[in-house]
Amino acid sequence: MDGSPKGHAAYFEMSFYPNVELVSTVRRFVLNAYQRLFLDPEIADQVALATHELLENAVKYSQDDVTHFRVDVVRHQDRGEVIITTKNRANADDVRNLEQNITELRGSDDPFAFYQQKMREAARREHSGLGLARVRAEAEMEMTCEMSGELVVIHARGTYPMRHHDG
Amino acid sequence: MAELTLEVIALPEFETQASMENGSISVRLRGSADLAARKPLESLLHGVHSESQRLKARRVVIDLTELEFMNSSCFKSFVTWIEEVQNLDAGAQYRITFISNPATHWQRRSLKALSCFAADLITLES
Repeated sequence: MDGSPKGHAAYFEMSFYPNVELVSTVRRFVLNAYQRLFLDPEIADQVALATHELLENAVKYSQDDVTHFRVDVVRHQDRGEVIITTKNRANADDVRNLEQNITELRGSDDPFAFYQQKMREAARREHSGLGLARVRAEAEMEMTCEMSGELVVIHARGTYPMRHHDG
Repeated sequence: MAELTLEVIALPEFETQASMENGSISVRLRGSADLAARKPLESLLHGVHSESQRLKARRVVIDLTELEFMNSSCFKSFVTWIEEVQNLDAGAQYRITFISNPATHWQRRSLKALSCFAADLITLES
């Protein structure tokens, strides 16, 4: 791809006003892109699901009406690393909760068992709190976060087989 | 014979239909179940649970063949409902069957997670 960063098979980024109704529109757009990049249609669906969950979280908790979102797909021979990045401002309580959730998530060795545990907890409370555990278990992505005051940056990474590269 | 009384969801991107036949309640979901659908879906599943007990349904069938997507908030509504069924006395419990669309690939893993959550209650079909 001319002018693309080295190794990139694709990237796209958006900034948008936090209207949750836009999230499904973005999911359909990225699903179409993922279907062109990945060998297995199930992978495209899983990564689109991850994109939706992360974006919805970012939009839901955004404090200043703007959510930034970027997807990088970096080719490593026949595999592609997907990096989904969301960036938004959130209030102190949400930042603290998110940090705790990601620390807890990364501390568990078995994504599926952790997901089941979160489902049992979610069954008895009002809010879901399942999104990140779902992304890790169903889309096989690992998450990290960076916090700087109210600014929250989430990175989700996963590596999957890609379609044959002709270019 | 008592009739099934369930509200219908008719949002721009998400809708449902429900019926009862031969002791089974069937609920068909269509479209994209995202944040806008969370509250109505929660309410619908609460209604399904009440109606299942009132009508002594033996089975509830959730047809997802036309469901494009479900976010984790809506997924959580199913988790809560399934736990309510688990909490019933054994004799009052009903079975839950999910019918999936193999071409809607995310459903495989999401439904696997649900069926592991309540393996004794849930059957998966496609």
